[in-house]
Amino acid sequence: MSEPVTKEAVAVEQNTDYCSSCSVCSTLCPYQALARDAETGKITLDIAKCQVCGLCYANCPASVISVLYYDLDSLVAYLERAQREYDSDTLVIMCRGSAPDTKGVARLFGVSEFIPLLVPCVGRVPDELYLRALLMGIKKIGVLACDEDYCRFERGSAVARREITAMNILLDQLGYGRDVITLKEHSLKVQVDANLCIACGNCVFYCPYHAAGLKSPGGISFDLDACRGCGLCVAMCPALALELENWERERISRLIRRLAGEMKPPGILVFRCQWASFPALDGEPPPQVRFIDLPCASRVDRFHVLEALQQGVGGVMIAACSEDDCKQERASGRAEHSIAALMARLDQIGLKERVHFCSVSPRYPGQMERELEQFTRKIASTG
Amino acid sequence: MIVTTQKPLDEVLDFITPYNTILIAGCDGCTQPPRGLREAKTLAQLLELAGRLKKRDISFRVTTVAKQCDNYLAASILKPQMDGVEAVLSLACGIGVQTLSGVFPEVPIFPAQNTHFMGAEEREAGILEERCAGCGDCLLAATGGICPVARCSKGLLSGACGGSKDGKCELSPDRDCAWCLIYERLRKQGKLALLKEPRPPRDYQLSGWRVVT
Repeated sequence: MSEPVTKEAVAVEQNTDYCSSCSVCSTLCPYQALARDAETGKITLDIAKCQVCGLCYANCPASVISVLYYDLDSLVAYLERAQREYDSDTLVIMCRGSAPDTKGVARLFGVSEFIPLLVPCVGRVPDELYLRALLMGIKKIGVLACDEDYCRFERGSAVARREITAMNILLDQLGYGRDVITLKEHSLKVQVDANLCIACGNCVFYCPYHAAGLKSPGGISFDLDACRGCGLCVAMCPALALELENWERERISRLIRRLAGEMKPPGILVFRCQWASFPALDGEPPPQVRFIDLPCASRVDRFHVLEALQQGVGGVMIAACSEDDCKQERASGRAEHSIAALMARLDQIGLKERVHFCSVSPRYPGQMERELEQFTRKIASTG
Repeated sequence: MIVTTQKPLDEVLDFITPYNTILIAGCDGCTQPPRGLREAKTLAQLLELAGRLKKRDISFRVTTVAKQCDNYLAASILKPQMDGVEAVLSLACGIGVQTLSGVFPEVPIFPAQNTHFMGAEEREAGILEERCAGCGDCLLAATGGICPVARCSKGLLSGACGGSKDGKCELSPDRDCAWCLIYERLRKQGKLALLKEPRPPRDYQLSGWRVVT
C-alpha cells in the first residue's frame, strides 16, 4: 500500500465545466500559464508557471477561475468593514508597488481622508468591485497604479487602465457622472545622494535594469525611466548613498523598533517580498510574528537584519521568490547570496540559527505557513 | 584594487575587549569590496551583538575616511573625532592601518581585515584574483597584457614550462596557466613574434620599497 500523498494546496483553481474557451485569460496571462488543452479544448492552468497576478480571475467572463487571495468576496467584506472604520466616502485602491505613505496618497488625490485598499497589483481588481463599492455608498474611487512598464506583473497596470476607462464610460452612461474613478500612476524608485557616493561601481554592476551609470569625472547617475525599484542597489551601496522611496533605511528602522516592541516572545520578524507572499487584506498577524513587506527580497538590508536582532527579536526570516519566479530579473538570487554571507559572519558569533532565508510562492499558500511555523518552533525551542 | 577579507569576529573581539570606547573607521578608498560606512556600521552591530553574548558592553563610534593611506587626509578627517576614543578598529588594508598608526602613535589601531594582494574581481563569478605583483618593471607590453610574474605559479618569464593540462597550471590545477593565456592572447593579436624577442636579464631590485616624488 503506498503512503497517502498530501496534495499541496494551490491558490488558483478552475471549474473547467464553465470554460467556453474564449481565451481572454490565456491572452492576458503574462506567464503562459494558461493554454488550450488539445484534448478537451478547454483552457487549463499550469500552476507551476502561475504567479497569482489575478488577471485571469478579474477578467474571466464565465467565473471559471477562483483565487485564494483578494477575490471579490473578500474585497467586498473588507470594504464593508473599512467603510465603518474610516470616515470617508472616497476609496483609494493602491498597488503595493506604487503607494507612497498615507500623506503622499492623500496629496496625490487631493483628499484629506480616504478608505485605503492595498493590493498586489491593481489589475487583479474585478470590474464588479467598483460597482459594489458605489452600491455601498462610496462616492469617488481613486486608483493608484504603477507606471505601465514598471508593473511587476508585466501588464496588470495596463489592464487596469483599460478596465477603468471602460468602467468610467459605463458609469457616466448610468448617470453617476464623469470620471467617477480617477487613475493615477506612480512608481517608487531609487533616490541618490551624490555627495555620499564613493564611485565604487557596485550599483552599476548589480542593477538588473542597467539604470545606474558611473562617469569619471561626473559621478553617479540613474536613468529613472529604467529603474524598477527593486532596491538591490540600495542594499549593496557601501557608502549608504542610495535610498528607495517608501522604503528608506530610517523608515524601516523605525518600523523594526516599533514591531520589536509589539511582538510576544520568541518574536519572529519576517522580511517578506510582497510578491512571494501576499499580505492579508487586514487583520492582525499571530502575536509573535510581524511582517515587513518589501518590493523585492533584494531590498533586505543586512543592517536591518542585525538591527532586528539587536532589538531583541528572536528570529529573522527572509521570504523571497525563487530566482525563476523573481519579478525583478533574478535579483532574489543576489539577496540569497548576500544573506548567506551575513549568516556566515553570524555563525562566527553563534547567531546563525537566528536567521532563515526561504523561497516561497503565493501559488502554494502552504509553503509560507510551513516555513513560518517551522522557524517559529525552532526559535522558541532554542530559547 | 587591494583585495582584502574580513577577519573572523572572535579575533577582532579579542583585539578590542580591553577597551570601552572604540572608533570603527571605514575606508572609501580602493579595497575590493569597498569597506566604507556600511561595513563600519555592520561591524559595529556584529561586535555589539557578540559583546552582549560575552556580557561585555563596548561603546562603538562609526566613521569613514576617504582614503586611510593618505596621512594628511586621515589626520584632518579623524583628529576631530578622536576625543575619548581608546582604540581604533580600521577597515582599511594594511597600508591604511599603518598610516593611522603613524598619525595617532599613542592610540592602538587594530586591523579588521586581512590584506591579500593587488587584484581584480571577476564580477559575474564573484571571484577576486591577484593580477599584479608590483615588480617595478612592467612587462605587460611584451606579454599581451597578461602578467606572468603575478599569474604564473613558477614566475617564469621566458615562456611556458610545458606542464600545463587543459590550460591549467600543474602546480595549482584551479589556476589558469598564465603562459597559455599569454600565447592565446598574442596569437589573437597576431603578435606571436613578441615571444621570440630576446630580453636582457631582469633586475629584480626594481620593485624596491621606496619611491620619491
